[in-house]
Amino acid sequence: MATITVESLCKRFGDVVAVDGVGFEIGRGEMFGLLGPNGAGKTTTIGILCGLVRPDSGTVCLDGKSDPMRPDVRASLGVVPQSLALYDELTAQENLEFFGRINGLAGRRLRDRVAACLDLAGLMQRRKDRVATFSGGMKRRLNLVCSLLHEPAILLLDEPTVGVDPQSRNLIFDTIEKLRSDGRTILYTTHYMEEAERLCDRVAILDHGKMLVLDTVANLIAKHGGASHIEIGLDEAPQDPAGLTAKLGAGELGIEGNMIRFQTMEPAQALATLNQCGVRYKTLKVDTANLEDVFLNLTGRRLRD
Amino acid sequence: MAKLLALAVKDLRVLMASKGNLFWVFGFPLLFALLFGAVYAGAGKGPSGMKLAVVDEDKSEFSQLYVTHLESEEALKVTRLDREQALTQVRKGQIAAAVVIRPGFGDGFSGFSDANNPKLQIASDPGQKMQGAYLEGLLAKAQFEVMAKRFRDRKWMRGQMDTWRGQIKRAGGLPGADANVYLRFFDSLDNFLTDVNDRTYKGGLGNGILNVAKLDVQREYDGPRTPFQITFPQAILWAILGCVATFAISIVRERTTGTFQRLRVGPISQVDILAGKGLACFLTCAMVIVLLVMVGKLVFKVPIGSPAMFLLGAVCTCLCFVGLMMLVSTLGKTEQSVVGAGWAVLMVLAMFGGAMMPLAFMPPWMRDISHVSPIK
Ligand SMILES: Nc1ncnc2c1ncn2[C@@H]1O[C@H](COP(=O)(O)OP(=O)(O)OP(=O)(O)O)[C@@H](O)[C@H]1O
Ligand SMILES: [Mg+2]
Repeated sequence: MATITVESLCKRFGDVVAVDGVGFEIGRGEMFGLLGPNGAGKTTTIGILCGLVRPDSGTVCLDGKSDPMRPDVRASLGVVPQSLALYDELTAQENLEFFGRINGLAGRRLRDRVAACLDLAGLMQRRKDRVATFSGGMKRRLNLVCSLLHEPAILLLDEPTVGVDPQSRNLIFDTIEKLRSDGRTILYTTHYMEEAERLCDRVAILDHGKMLVLDTVANLIAKHGGASHIEIGLDEAPQDPAGLTAKLGAGELGIEGNMIRFQTMEPAQALATLNQCGVRYKTLKVDTANLEDVFLNLTGRRLRD
Repeated sequence: MAKLLALAVKDLRVLMASKGNLFWVFGFPLLFALLFGAVYAGAGKGPSGMKLAVVDEDKSEFSQLYVTHLESEEALKVTRLDREQALTQVRKGQIAAAVVIRPGFGDGFSGFSDANNPKLQIASDPGQKMQGAYLEGLLAKAQFEVMAKRFRDRKWMRGQMDTWRGQIKRAGGLPGADANVYLRFFDSLDNFLTDVNDRTYKGGLGNGILNVAKLDVQREYDGPRTPFQITFPQAILWAILGCVATFAISIVRERTTGTFQRLRVGPISQVDILAGKGLACFLTCAMVIVLLVMVGKLVFKVPIGSPAMFLLGAVCTCLCFVGLMMLVSTLGKTEQSVVGAGWAVLMVLAMFGGAMMPLAFMPPWMRDISHVSPIK
């Protein structure tokens, strides 16, 4: 059933342990997020999955076939590299046609697929322009669709949205969501937690080559997200701060004029209590724990590299 | 196969898209062929107007004839100076060389043959070997031509005969029989000179000796029929070098930009990827060769020996260079390092292989090394 099975992968580069015992399974049609700070080993893991990097140990199985070093195993694979891998000297269309041919397309099907991909990337108008003249976002979009030509069943996307504006990002999201609804299996790496939250069914967080957690986004937030931050603006300063604190049971209450700030593991409960106490608030801000909190709680706030 | 072709076509497109690449692969070699062909064509007649000082210490009739003859030589610009001035000017580089005509130069044949006491001394910059050799040739040619004029002068010949006869008689060192042989030879020569009529003498003997001088001249034109015959093959080498360098760089560029990885991830083996590169490199080499050969053949009438052999040679050369290209591309990890290392290797090979200098001009040690260079 699973289309990607990875077992205890290890890879060292000299002294650096890039991947250390990583293992996971990704089912058919699932969208799987691989998160981690810089240098965590995400790109290396993808490299092993697509046969670019030979692991020191561990096994990879794609659609039941092991050893992605073999060209035929990679036939159902689409890989979007982290670095822009395009021919600057060629036009968008020439790039697509070339990668299409390499992936075994020809004739009418090649033409149709190239047109479809140009459309998907929103580059129909600029298809006759050289890639060298493209903006960063346009190149990113082209970089993505160059791997979709042969409609691969498994997609490995390595940070497909770095350095693009919100418009381009939304277009890329739409593309990816469409791919997922088509039933493709997708492995997605990113540094943008909100992307993973929005797109991924399950998420694994990697650090120093080791897999720290693997679960659904909701479960991860519940387990590792920590407290929610609530900020309330009142009409007037509260009469009985001590009583309020006791009722909320939320530890320390930060009161500053007519602003109240506090943290709680149960934000819904806390708000209900406030209502019962007849507290009237003008503004309300609830920061529930998110994936970013999970990420920072697990990997620490220290800068990497 | 379709994938291989797609790879090659892509590479050609990328090549064509860059003006710099186009220049190195097509423009530069053609320019090289034309420019150096033109330069050699001008130089084929020898350097014109070489400045030469003549110091006539002999002041004989013959030496004066000789100096006048040198002055009439187109390739030389002759000034008459004394020894001091002449040598100073050579040292300062104001003139190319000085010729000192020693006393006794005009004493007939002995002036030519006495190796221990040369009657002609040449002072020139030892660094300018080519020029020195060229000058020696010119001087010898002038000497022959002046001598030839003299041989045609019957009176002078008979006077010369008398001198020799006197010398032989006086010397007494020779055994009697030997001396007699010489004397009888001179007698009969004397008779011949007295009896033969003017026309026969000048026409026969005179031309005969002049021929010697002419032969000497002809040897200079014995080389390639047109200088483009040297420069076009050299240009082909340059073109191939350009191709090799360009493609080696393009392999590394693909590696650094990541397109190489993208290809490797595709359903295609690494061997195929390299084969595609090789094919593109081979095709480009072939195109340049065809272009250069066409221009050479049609515009400059450069002869090609046997077309079949040439084709075979060209194909082999290209294949060899495709291999070289692969090798060069592995020399470094970044574009810069490959560019550096690649050009260094290619330049050294080119230098020893004769892409810059014709092999014929090389000193022997370089020629020995040149056998290992595939460029040759
Ligand atoms: N080819 C290589 N040679 C040496 N070290 C490498 C190589 N590739 C990766 N590494 C090292 O392995 C570690 C993991 O790198 P990797 O690129 O997999 O990280 P990443 O999670 O993709 O980081 P980023 O988010 O910055 O892209 C890093 O410490 C990196 O320096
Ligand atoms: Mg990475």
